[in-house]
Amino acid sequence: MYTEKIELKDLDKTDPEYRDLLGRVLAIQADCEIGGPHLYVEKMLPAAPTKLDQLIVARTAAEEIDHFRKVARVAGDMGVDVSFVLSQPNEKRFVDAFRGLITTWEDNAVFGFLIDRVGRYQLEEFSDCSYLPLQRILPDIVTEELGHIEYGYNKTCELLSKGDEQRERVQRAIDYWYVRALDMFGHSGSKRAERYIFWGLKRRANEQAREDYIREVNPILTSMGIRIPDPIKGRRFI
Amino acid sequence: MPERAPNTERLDEHLLEIVHALHGAVRQGVSHTDDAKITDRVIEDCKKLLDVIMAGNE
Repeated sequence: MYTEKIELKDLDKTDPEYRDLLGRVLAIQADCEIGGPHLYVEKMLPAAPTKLDQLIVARTAAEEIDHFRKVARVAGDMGVDVSFVLSQPNEKRFVDAFRGLITTWEDNAVFGFLIDRVGRYQLEEFSDCSYLPLQRILPDIVTEELGHIEYGYNKTCELLSKGDEQRERVQRAIDYWYVRALDMFGHSGSKRAERYIFWGLKRRANEQAREDYIREVNPILTSMGIRIPDPIKGRRFI
Repeated sequence: MPERAPNTERLDEHLLEIVHALHGAVRQGVSHTDDAKITDRVIEDCKKLLDVIMAGNE
């Protein structure tokens, strides 16, 4: 197991596999950060239910763009150009959940509640990681992601309180996003994940992080009176 | 020391400028939620700024 802590100036001395995996994970993280605004800005900025919600959509997008900027900077400094993801069509995003378009307020709320929570898990994988420039950008990004999750949760609760028809619409959004959230953790038993862990770039195996997520989110769903979706049906990565 | 990717600093500065402009606009909008004229203008400004990002790095 790799126990070194690496600064940018020492990166040339590291194993090529380390640099490859680091470049790859930064490109995926950058894609996920900018993938959010590409999902919801077009339809939700004009259609959010109140002017304050419209402004919060804009603020959330600004924060995600800033997260992209920080990740792109870490990647760029080590010679990896991730700017191509700025123009990446949604259907070509690295992660399934970011392909498509959010067109309803229920989806927007549930996306924040469930998918930004996976984002927090992904970021927490890097806490205390071996690459110090990545570790340094994390605290502010995680704090802002927590705000997105809380906003998504609050908006979901607000929608649930608006009667049976609305509750059913929220349930449909949960059914859609829950399996995508679980898929975001990737294949169980992934060999690549093992290498990330070996190099100190991640902490948990995919299946462990997914289990932790389920243990966190299922009780919240139950407390909201939501049926927990089938965790297998519709999954691509088991 | 690895060689920095071309345009790293320029992209960083460009995005930071947009992020600051968005936050400034949102702050102004949030402090005037009782004035529909101002919030509408601010939301339009946000849309224009976000359109730049949505257009990608063309």
